[in-house]
Amino acid sequence: MAWIETLVNGALLGGLYGLLGIGLALVFGVMRLVNIAHGEFMVLAAYLAVILVGLFPQVHPLFVLIPVVIAAFAVGYLYQALIMNRVARAPDPLAPLLLTFGVSIVLRNLMVEVFGADVRGLQLGELSRASIKLFGLSIGVMPLLTLIAAVLLFLLLQWAVKRTVFGRIVRATADRRDIVRLFGVKPDLVYNYVMGLSLALGAIGGVLLAVRSSFTPFSGVERLLIAFEVVVLGGIGSFWGALLGGIVLGMAQLAGLKWDANAGLLYAHLLFFVVLLIRPAGLVASRA
Amino acid sequence: MTLLEVNHLNVFHGDLQAIFGLAFSVAEREAVALVGANGAGKTTFLRALVGLIDSKQGRVRFDGSDIQDTPAEHIARLGLGMVPEGRMLFDTLTVEENLLMGQVSRRSGAWTLRRVFDLFPALEERRNHLPRQLSGGQQQMVAIGRALMCNPRLLLCDEISLGLAPVMVEQIYGAFEDIRKEGTALVLVEQDVKRAASASDRIYCLLKGRVSLTANAGDVSVTELTQAYFGM
Amino acid sequence: MKGIAISYAVVAALIAGGALLLGEGALRFATECLLILAMAQMWNLLAGYAGLVSFGHQVFVGIGAYGLFRISDALDLSPYWALPIAPLACAVVAAVIALPLFRLREAYFSIAMWVFSEIVAALVTKTSWLGGSAGLPLKSSRLLDLDWFEPVLFWIAGGLALGTIGGLFLLMRSGFGLGLMSVRDNDLAAMSVGVDVQRNRFIVFVLSAAGCGFAGAVSFLGNLYVSPAAAFDVNWVVYMMFIVMIGGIGTLEGPIIGTVVFFGLRELITDQLGYSAGWYLVALGTVAVIVMLWSPRGLWPPLRDRFGLKLLGVGRTAPTPPDLPPLAGKAGQLG
Repeated sequence: MAWIETLVNGALLGGLYGLLGIGLALVFGVMRLVNIAHGEFMVLAAYLAVILVGLFPQVHPLFVLIPVVIAAFAVGYLYQALIMNRVARAPDPLAPLLLTFGVSIVLRNLMVEVFGADVRGLQLGELSRASIKLFGLSIGVMPLLTLIAAVLLFLLLQWAVKRTVFGRIVRATADRRDIVRLFGVKPDLVYNYVMGLSLALGAIGGVLLAVRSSFTPFSGVERLLIAFEVVVLGGIGSFWGALLGGIVLGMAQLAGLKWDANAGLLYAHLLFFVVLLIRPAGLVASRA
Repeated sequence: MTLLEVNHLNVFHGDLQAIFGLAFSVAEREAVALVGANGAGKTTFLRALVGLIDSKQGRVRFDGSDIQDTPAEHIARLGLGMVPEGRMLFDTLTVEENLLMGQVSRRSGAWTLRRVFDLFPALEERRNHLPRQLSGGQQQMVAIGRALMCNPRLLLCDEISLGLAPVMVEQIYGAFEDIRKEGTALVLVEQDVKRAASASDRIYCLLKGRVSLTANAGDVSVTELTQAYFGM
Repeated sequence: MKGIAISYAVVAALIAGGALLLGEGALRFATECLLILAMAQMWNLLAGYAGLVSFGHQVFVGIGAYGLFRISDALDLSPYWALPIAPLACAVVAAVIALPLFRLREAYFSIAMWVFSEIVAALVTKTSWLGGSAGLPLKSSRLLDLDWFEPVLFWIAGGLALGTIGGLFLLMRSGFGLGLMSVRDNDLAAMSVGVDVQRNRFIVFVLSAAGCGFAGAVSFLGNLYVSPAAAFDVNWVVYMMFIVMIGGIGTLEGPIIGTVVFFGLRELITDQLGYSAGWYLVALGTVAVIVMLWSPRGLWPPLRDRFGLKLLGVGRTAPTPPDLPPLAGKAGQLG
């Protein structure tokens, strides 16, 4: 019974993992760019949330998500406009990879200098610890809410991409960034919005993760690796695949921890590696 | 009324010059054929006109404004459209979504989704299909329809007939009559000289980046054209 | 070629002599420079010549170091003699993981290497006979003559640095090197002319791992202590990457310049200006980002092109066509 509970809680954790990955997947799908600094931006969002909570203690902590998400969108927009758009066009796949790696180093160490290396977390008081009994299993309330939020966000994203004009423009730009200019679209501008959206989604994941577990400026690496594993496991190009990948990874993570309490992310990483060996295309076959 | 006027155009691919001192013009409502062998520079020329190639010198005047330094996104909004070589459809968008992309430049005119479907009924049946599910001819229809949805005043058509069965080519060229009736001027780039000449008022022949011949369609003989085409 | 051979010999002589002339502090610093240079060249070999960017190369630094410590202690062998274990162990590991990892392209390969490194680091931390999270002291250090410790390490590091640069130079000028660079530039085209892409990449990957492992082993030998946090620290690959990025990826001179910038910046920021190591990394990262934006190929290629320098160039010039009389007849007038 305890194992089922672990797996269920793992699946709930998967919702959060899916959120971590979706921003990365979006940028890769549209711009063919892996934003190595994605993890650091998520941690930055968490720090902003902690600061805001400290400044406005009378407001419920979860409400800080609103300004944090807006700030993250703005930062993403500027990041793309000022830095990334200069290399997005280069035919050399190495340049964006190295550049975003450089940005991640700068951010990580800036955060160490500015915020210090000590451990932080976002306290929600009762809500962090609350659990309910569902079908005889003890389920955390926050994890459940997080999964629901993740599913809702995924649905929203899918609607936006498939059914709005903006989504159509994004998809067309992802398909053919040159030709889309013939129809009055500025690819650079599209990329700005997409990066903004990516960091905004990442910020939600980052803040919710900060509620669940503590973080330091060095936590970006963990988050990046999880996000990456989620995207690859789910199959490149599949949004719902990212959620599924997150769920599988979450289950592996909690099952691993149950067995071996100090393992950190080892079992999640191991699962990822094993799946990669057997099925390089991911769990969900990606569309060509 | 001259709609498009090109003077002394030089276009470069990196350090290599592809177009040399080209002069070219299209009047309103006119249909002009641009023929030449593979590698003569036809596609390079069109892409330069429409703003997709930056390394160029010279003057391009469209509808009264100089556009040689204008970015492609803006040129589209001015009413210069292109059906690119190889169709270049948006592969993850449906037929209808591809067509609707033409509306993004927000130019109004006769060409609406309804009218494009009337022109190409086969597309209406397949409005929710993806490009890869269509035949070559149908894809070409989508490419043309997509460009039409921008309501261009001048439409550049790059090798429309390439790879299509003659029956299909007939059908598509038949559509050009409707397109011209709405007042759109055309530039038809083809390797098939006869086909292009029969649908146009004037012909330019391009050889190694230079104009080797320009004449009214009816005034030039096959021999002259062949010579200009191959440079003999 | 002769000029290169002469300068090589001169540098070798400097290294041989320097060990005897420099003070302990200077020797340690110089050793560190040479080791980082060697590591950077190895990372450059993989990224600049085989086109594979690895974010996980720190794993070889760690495997090399741990391999040395464990074998040297287990066999009660002087660490100098046990050193070959480091590159060997890394070569074996690289050979094994190459198989699955090579299915991945570009960014996926890069991050998968990183994940692999995290897995190994986590496993080492949990293994008691590897010292767990506390690490291992080098018990066989009692077999060392500590008077000669710094000079010997300096010689080894110098030999490694010279060896990697010289070896890479010869490699790139060989047929193998030509095949390699063709793979980097266009692997489909390379395959179509018969270059065995997978085999070339494999060899390079293994060599790169071995070289890194050797350097890592020597580095931790100098500390007489190894711990998982230090051995598998991602900053190893950060240093390698930044040196190569700033200096010039895919060139032999680039990492040399990059190493100079790296250490120059470090001395400036931490010593002269007194800032912490964190700010140094911020500065390093910022320089790397700026260089990537303004001169994506690094600092060396524009310098080389501007001043026509040709230090360790491995490029080949096309053969000049022989003078042939023009073809007679009309055909000669085409094109």
